[in-house]
Amino acid sequence: MNAPEHQSAQEHTTPGATSAIEAILLVSSRPVSLSSILSATALPEPEVQEAIEELKERYAPGTSGIVFREVAGGFQLATNPICADVLERFRKEARPAPLSGAAYEVLACVLYLGPLTRGAINEVRGVNSDAVVRNLLDRNLLAEAGREKSRPGAPVLLDLTEDFLLATGAKGRDDFPSLGAVVDPEEIERVRERVRGQGQKISGGGEE
Amino acid sequence: MKRHQKDEQVNTESRGRALSSFTVELDVYSGPYEGLLTLILKHELEIFEVPLRELVSQYRSENLPGGSPGVEKEALERDTDFVDSATSLVLLKGRSLAPVPEHEEEEASEGGLSPQELEERLVTYLKIKRAAEALEQRLKRNADLFPSGHALHPRPGRLHLSIDRLVKALRRSFLRTAEPDERHLGPITVTVDELVALIRTSLVRGPLSFEDLVRDMDRLRSAVAFAATLSLASEGHVNLSQAEPFGPLTIEPVR
Repeated sequence: MNAPEHQSAQEHTTPGATSAIEAILLVSSRPVSLSSILSATALPEPEVQEAIEELKERYAPGTSGIVFREVAGGFQLATNPICADVLERFRKEARPAPLSGAAYEVLACVLYLGPLTRGAINEVRGVNSDAVVRNLLDRNLLAEAGREKSRPGAPVLLDLTEDFLLATGAKGRDDFPSLGAVVDPEEIERVRERVRGQGQKISGGGEE
Repeated sequence: MKRHQKDEQVNTESRGRALSSFTVELDVYSGPYEGLLTLILKHELEIFEVPLRELVSQYRSENLPGGSPGVEKEALERDTDFVDSATSLVLLKGRSLAPVPEHEEEEASEGGLSPQELEERLVTYLKIKRAAEALEQRLKRNADLFPSGHALHPRPGRLHLSIDRLVKALRRSFLRTAEPDERHLGPITVTVDELVALIRTSLVRGPLSFEDLVRDMDRLRSAVAFAATLSLASEGHVNLSQAEPFGPLTIEPVR
């Protein structure tokens, strides 16, 4: 029996940086920050960065059923999207119901203009969004983040969650295009002209 | 728009069924009526897309007219449920189709929103709408990723404790049991029991003014005398009366 020898050999083997980080990510369902990795591995940052680059290559899409993600301020191992159908059958799990158009608008409001109160969201959208907000809170895509004390009644402020960043595959808030960049300037100009045209019609009608 | 093709004849079986058995066949939705309500309430189906007249027609064609006496009560309950939910849908649709809430409209007509403000608001909304479309695509692209499922819980006896965490925990527990600072307090030289006895003795002569009782006492004895008075009152040995707030307090023995 040479089991004790085998055990002893294992005890004295120090894992490489890549193996250590890979193992940490395997046992974590949430993204792991660089500082947590540095603390757990006690390795110098350049070595950890090098290992992360190696993991990115190892788990590049197209080479494995697992992909390496840099998301929500950390690193995460996740399954390759090409395996999604297989996994859904294996887990006997249906996809969550898709969000409504109104829900995407509320998320965009909070992403670009937030944190916002429910009232401010309603003001931007021009309709009551309370039910949509409730649904997004249930799905943990929005969360309460303090109160706006300068307004009467100190209404609750809503902000995005880590789950939102995970769901969008974003490293952080800065990982989204600016609000000005999502619309064609010509389209904005057309809207402005239309509003001005309506205004002129109304004022012209009043004179008659 | 497809019409639900049902026989207009009396269907006594369907009259007795619960509302959950009512299925609808609309362009936007096909399935149980309760499922339709759920989708609308979850905002997964916009109310203004639901043809309510068509919906009511389908219900009528399935359930009216008449019915056998044996199932009449159940049918009445079901009809009531349907009317209740359909009324809510009408109200909801009415509200969703109203372009601007009334108070906002009034504000605008009173000059609350200038043309420039309106223009800016519309441009902001346009940007949010386009951003929402981009967000939808981004969420869809990332919907097929499953994170690692190995969320391990600490195994018994293997939780790593660092000295720092231990010191913090100890500090917290000692803080909880630390005695409050009493240096500002003088020595306690009197007890409630002593003052209860004093009040009882004084009451032998009749009603007693609290102010007279504590006239020659220091602050500590006055405070304990008040506690003793309240204690006697709560036990039903004395009655307390005070004609006005902050007025004289009279202690009377209960006979």
